[in-house]
Amino acid sequence: MIKARWKRGIGAALFVAMAGGLTAGALLSSPAVADETCQSPYMAKIVGQEDFVYVWTLGVEGVGDGQDKLVTVSVNPKSSSFGKVVSSVSVGGRNEAHHSGFTDDRRFLWAASLDTNKIFVFDVHSNPAKPKLTKTIKDFVRKSGGVVGPHTTYALPGRMMITGLSNNKDHGGRTALVEYTNDGKYVSTHWMPTDQNLHGAKKTGKYADGYGYDVRALPRLNVMITSSFTGWSNYMMDFGKMLGDKEAMKRFGNTMVVWDLHTRKPKEVLDVPGAPLEVRCAWNPNHNYCFTTTALTSKIWLVYMDEKNKWHAKAVADIGDPSKVPLPVDISISSDDSHLWVNTFMDGNTRLFDVSDPFHPKMVFEKQIGSQVNMVSSSWDGKRLYFTTSLLSNWDKKGKADEQFFKAYDWDGRQLKEQFAIDFMKAKLGRPHQMRFGAYSLYAEKAPNSQTTLADRR
Amino acid sequence: MKASIAMAGGLFSLLLAATGLAYAGGDNATPALAPGYGALGFVPPAVGSYELPALKMAPNGNVLDESGKQVSLYQVFGDKIVVFSFIYSTCGDVNGCPLATFVLNRLKKRMDADPELGANVRLVTISFDPEHDTPAVMRLYAANFKDGAGQWRFLTTASQQQLRPILDSYGQRIQREVDASGQATNTFSHVLRVFLIDRQRQIRNIYAVSFLHPDLVVNDIKTILRAPPIIARSSSKVATSAATKYSPAKLLARLQTPPLGLPPMPVPADNALSPIKVALGRKLFFDRRLSLNQTVSCAMCHIPQQGFTNNELATSVGIEGRTVRRNAPTLYNVGYKQRLFHDGRETALRRQIWGPLLNHNEMGNVAVGQIIGKIRSLQDYSNQFDQAFPTRGLDMETLGMAIASYERTLVSGNSPFDRWYYGGEKGAVSQSAKRGFGLFSGKAGCSACHSVGKRHALFTDQRLHNTGIGYARSMAIEPPTRKVEVAPGVVLDVATSIMRSVSGQAPADLGLYEVTQDPADRWKYTTPTLRNIALTAPYMHDGSLPTLRDVIEFYNRGGVANEELDTRIHPLHLRQQEIDDLVAFLSTLTGDDVGALVGDASSAPIGDPGGAATDGGVPQVTRAE
Repeated sequence: MIKARWKRGIGAALFVAMAGGLTAGALLSSPAVADETCQSPYMAKIVGQEDFVYVWTLGVEGVGDGQDKLVTVSVNPKSSSFGKVVSSVSVGGRNEAHHSGFTDDRRFLWAASLDTNKIFVFDVHSNPAKPKLTKTIKDFVRKSGGVVGPHTTYALPGRMMITGLSNNKDHGGRTALVEYTNDGKYVSTHWMPTDQNLHGAKKTGKYADGYGYDVRALPRLNVMITSSFTGWSNYMMDFGKMLGDKEAMKRFGNTMVVWDLHTRKPKEVLDVPGAPLEVRCAWNPNHNYCFTTTALTSKIWLVYMDEKNKWHAKAVADIGDPSKVPLPVDISISSDDSHLWVNTFMDGNTRLFDVSDPFHPKMVFEKQIGSQVNMVSSSWDGKRLYFTTSLLSNWDKKGKADEQFFKAYDWDGRQLKEQFAIDFMKAKLGRPHQMRFGAYSLYAEKAPNSQTTLADRR
Repeated sequence: MKASIAMAGGLFSLLLAATGLAYAGGDNATPALAPGYGALGFVPPAVGSYELPALKMAPNGNVLDESGKQVSLYQVFGDKIVVFSFIYSTCGDVNGCPLATFVLNRLKKRMDADPELGANVRLVTISFDPEHDTPAVMRLYAANFKDGAGQWRFLTTASQQQLRPILDSYGQRIQREVDASGQATNTFSHVLRVFLIDRQRQIRNIYAVSFLHPDLVVNDIKTILRAPPIIARSSSKVATSAATKYSPAKLLARLQTPPLGLPPMPVPADNALSPIKVALGRKLFFDRRLSLNQTVSCAMCHIPQQGFTNNELATSVGIEGRTVRRNAPTLYNVGYKQRLFHDGRETALRRQIWGPLLNHNEMGNVAVGQIIGKIRSLQDYSNQFDQAFPTRGLDMETLGMAIASYERTLVSGNSPFDRWYYGGEKGAVSQSAKRGFGLFSGKAGCSACHSVGKRHALFTDQRLHNTGIGYARSMAIEPPTRKVEVAPGVVLDVATSIMRSVSGQAPADLGLYEVTQDPADRWKYTTPTLRNIALTAPYMHDGSLPTLRDVIEFYNRGGVANEELDTRIHPLHLRQQEIDDLVAFLSTLTGDDVGALVGDASSAPIGDPGGAATDGGVPQVTRAE
């Protein structure tokens, strides 16, 4: 199921778009680990050298201007600004910057905030080196009918699917999916199924908690999959305080939901106890499964469809020593579905699992990136990996261990070799969180003073 | 020109032939065909089983029809449901424009065969290459599809200038590609989108390559045909269960004749209750905009559905997630309280609110004037203070007076215990609960502080005591590991060092001492009411005890020994049956009005940024008070 809708230009164009399957073969001569594979399948994709990494960064009281900001790092080795921050756009306030996502045409980046519920929309196409804040959605809670904590901003054709984490009644975990058009107009709210109201879904296990976190779509199966984290009270509070609060610890998601993508109706609630976070679905059209990791129980879970089209969830591997609460955070699946990068926050490690047998993942590589690590993003060709440190403003480590950096590595299939690092505290920027890639080629442009072509890295 | 047309036609023939190929994916080497060329990979959702909310109005625009006549898009759409596609005739990407045209052709065949579709649907294709795709070219393109009953129109524009606003308004971004020397080529980059537009000219779906399939489009069309027209977008509402709820007037009336078991509500002479004050206070209570960053209202910690406290947290969480050191006390019957806050530092409800409003770790406001200015800037408060307080309007004190007025209405009584003990209804409580009450006022000695009167009971002596809970929190030595339940039934012994690495400095809490500075007052906290106690877990000033049984067992052990331990606290030697009886008794203290009070609160509007009101984000300069 290959849908390269975007035509390749001659010369600078080095992106393709995919819609539910693999890209055109010619563009995928070396399937590799790639964060780009974690994007919406409806979206244009960079397959060559990325020019920029957009880092959605949390402001820290007393550091620089103390505000959240979108920081643009130049990452093309051919650029004179390689390894430098080339732009920083402060958005006002500390909003608990967290995740961001492009619209399907990749012209705008929607950066959401878990505390103040604002969504900042940046124009990244007019000048990819200098994103511009063009719209701030401030009435998300009111428009959505009480959804708090916009998290994943996931591209659907002409619209954005936004997962919530909480609500304005109790700041607990009951929440919904919210749809907006690319223009920033509210469309609809889809509440997560709960024991009180399953919204027509079937509860297959013990839980129907109504919590939310991430969303991914499998268009070829007409399926959408969501995971579940926790409400505002927990994700906003001091991490240590929460671990010591018996009541708070009972309020984590234990479910994933399989949805009908076309109708946006929940179909089945699956038990996945221990806060399943990021969802990464396989790309091969014969691979009807997705991975997630449970933050608190430190396991890789496989969510898969059997021959009878029935969905199941199964714990398939431990990540590190679960008794030490390593806290798996960001994950990234390779475009050939063979490998999965897994970061663990507490020990600051990144781990690579061979998942070619999805039921039996095996760890094949492990390295400490820093005293703490959260996000990992890889280039399409898998040769470059980027890491950032911040998890949540009040969950990050305290004191000296609270390192806040952006680090770029080269990956040769055996070793990670550091290329450069930016200390975000020293640079008075804040806590770096999610990374998204930008490239001149997406907009049929040539980089000033540099050539970025598909051939550069081949 | 002719060559190009022939090429387009030739390509299309090729595509028609290609449908004979099995639709397959999974092979990296060859681009597979989009689902629209073959069978849909899943059963399409049944007609009418779902909704297609209106996304936005389909924009109008000036175009040229096949004869070269200037018409508007709306004229072409007519009164039909429209499937609208952007293409250019020389496009060679098999899963690009040819796919759109191929699927529209399949739709046309369905229209030819199905009178419902034939009568109600129009297919519209427009070119985004006006230089090449003249009306004459579009006419030739159309010639392939003119037979049959279904209507299919082929449009273009007079110029890029005429085309541009149409592309912009439909979000179709087109880039003419350049070759290596920078010369424009005849190919374009674009995201394939096909629009489904209803009779009211609202866009109801946008199809992409992966699901542009006639089966889905037909079911979407029939779903629209069978549903009542959508005029405006409907916003989903949070479900509320306000079966029986109180109006502000009814809330007030309950205070004139207090529920069984409660004394008359003390009301300050200068703040007589009125429906308008109660309504205003309720609005303020649920208004998240009253915090600095518009996220925390009174109700976010005193949650009506959770006993006007928070059942999900031991201690509260304030603005930006900042640590609050104590458990949110319930607001049921708060109007009777003589000393407010767990350490008793405040004595008037109207003043109490300024603590949370201004605390850096609660609602985080930075000045009285800033809050007053913000409320003045919110249009939905206009005149409300003037009406509630005609001689004063909005000021620092009337803000507190309004909220206090609402809080005073949260009286809750007529519990099973009240009906038995004060109402003489013998069967209102169980034998176990009756034995429990005997212990409560006898062997266990609870009523020494949780007072019960002859005609009513507040279950508090309005004083402060040291039970040892606060002492233990301040003075206990940290164990090497702590038990953490990471998932239901999965309990880990987590090293304290791990927990410390992600813990901020825990704030000190010395109780009444912080108010009096008298060492004898260390770790003394107010006696809470026990009314509705079954609804207000977790317990104690720090929320450290999850259940009522835990609380009774704590007192049964004699609290935690320390110098200032209240002399009334000592080991009780209760048997398990006696503990059961005490729990049974405490469970009879839930008022019969709780459902209505929660129902009323659930129906209160929640103040969030946006809407008709200004967002209050910019502090206003307050006029002279």
